[in-house]
Amino acid sequence: MSRQLIIKGSLRRARFTLDLDLDVDLSKPLGILGATGAGKTTLLRVIAGLERDFSGRVEFCGEVWHDGDHFDRVPTHQRGLGVVFQDGRLLPGRTVESNLAFAQQRARNVNAAVSYEALTEALDLNHLLSEPAEVLSGGERQRVALARALLARPRLLLLDEPLAANDADHRQQLIGYLAEWLPAEGIPLVYVSHAAHELAQLTRQLIVLERGSVTAQGETHVLLEAQSEAIDSVARPVAAVVMSTDVEHSTATLQLDDDVAEAVLPGERVLLQRELTEDSGLGPALQPQSDENEG
Amino acid sequence: MSGDLQAVWLTALLAATTTLLLVPLASPLAWWLARSTSPSRSVIEAVVAMPLVLPPTVLGFYLLVMLNPESAVGSLWIELTGDSLTFSFSGLVIASIIYSLPFMVQPLQAAFRAVPESVLEAAATLGAPPRDRWLNVVLPMAKRGYLTGCVLTFAHTVGEFGVVLMMGGNIPGETRVLSIAIYEHVETLNYDAAHVLALGLLGFSFLSLWLVYRYAGHRFEVVRG
Repeated sequence: MSRQLIIKGSLRRARFTLDLDLDVDLSKPLGILGATGAGKTTLLRVIAGLERDFSGRVEFCGEVWHDGDHFDRVPTHQRGLGVVFQDGRLLPGRTVESNLAFAQQRARNVNAAVSYEALTEALDLNHLLSEPAEVLSGGERQRVALARALLARPRLLLLDEPLAANDADHRQQLIGYLAEWLPAEGIPLVYVSHAAHELAQLTRQLIVLERGSVTAQGETHVLLEAQSEAIDSVARPVAAVVMSTDVEHSTATLQLDDDVAEAVLPGERVLLQRELTEDSGLGPALQPQSDENEG
Repeated sequence: MSGDLQAVWLTALLAATTTLLLVPLASPLAWWLARSTSPSRSVIEAVVAMPLVLPPTVLGFYLLVMLNPESAVGSLWIELTGDSLTFSFSGLVIASIIYSLPFMVQPLQAAFRAVPESVLEAAATLGAPPRDRWLNVVLPMAKRGYLTGCVLTFAHTVGEFGVVLMMGGNIPGETRVLSIAIYEHVETLNYDAAHVLALGLLGFSFLSLWLVYRYAGHRFEVVRG
């Protein structure tokens, strides 16, 4: 069966234009990488049919979802999606259980490899089932949203930084589950993330977005390696001392000469150097001290 | 039934009818006002809110002009039902709906505005069509707005005087509501009877407002399962 996702068109905003000409086969999970403001979330919203002003064509599995004409498109609720937004977006005034039931009751396809019990167990939700959505932490909300999206038994899964609010342990655990479940369920996946290691483990093809346009497209590992080499070659090595680390929030306080800066650490140490290099311009000189302090 | 009891019954019937009719009439209007970005929104908002500042006699006067048997609407109504809209219960209901419109629309509008678009988007991605989203996402979140709107509309209709007097006059069993009955008792110097009715209205008004403040300030039960 074709799993072709075609997006051609543009979305113009006051200070931002998303300009797309994409044709990808989603039989391999697709990752989307890009800096903040590159248009990653907007791209997912276009696929989901949430950007009414998108002018162009969106097609999935040969079905035209959007054709420039607003009246001709398939509305969001008929697209068979499972979407996890960055902020979880749970239905307020409902318990976790009720949020999950909302998705289950509207699921198009009830046959699935992963059961409700397996999901709530693996995502560590059983003790939260009777809690109102409002009292959950950011990470818990994202896990409920992930369970909810999977329980909707979607034809297409759109995940927008779905693990960002979780602590490093939960993140690694969830990546493991997703890597196991998604192929088992056979659900086409579009995965947006800043974290290279998440993309490396969960996706096999990658799109790099910059200011609303695709600047690179190809195999995930090839593009990530190329990116990493490019960063290494231009990075300016500087000496920094790791003053303290906050494992719970994945942050570290660094001293560079007279300045003190805070950096966000990714989940895996091997990629720490790359992430810091990319975000803060810190070079390899950081790594030995960082390892020492974190260990 | 004594005249005053009849007035109590008629008042309750008028208030209940007005409230029940305003719920479906005000809901789409309040939804549009809460979500629309149209430039005409502020104009419609001002029109809906006018009964709050307009003297009831002014509103009553214009309703009388618009709905009297000689007018287009009034004559059409007589043709359809055989009844006149002025000095009749049905005319009072129409006048009350217009007069109480802001008391239902404004709490609903505030409640609908508090429903984030992002939540409706999430429900849509889970396969909920618009009607489903309205019934299972918007309505549970707007419960407090509906309670406030219903209580305020009912209480406000119970206390109507100027509009009722202009549109309905004082016909026992047809248009003689509580406020008119009190006015009549005072005019005839029957202060004891006026006291009984006035005290009843005082207690009712307090209870209504207490209900709004008591429950509008508290969370409703979380939907489970």
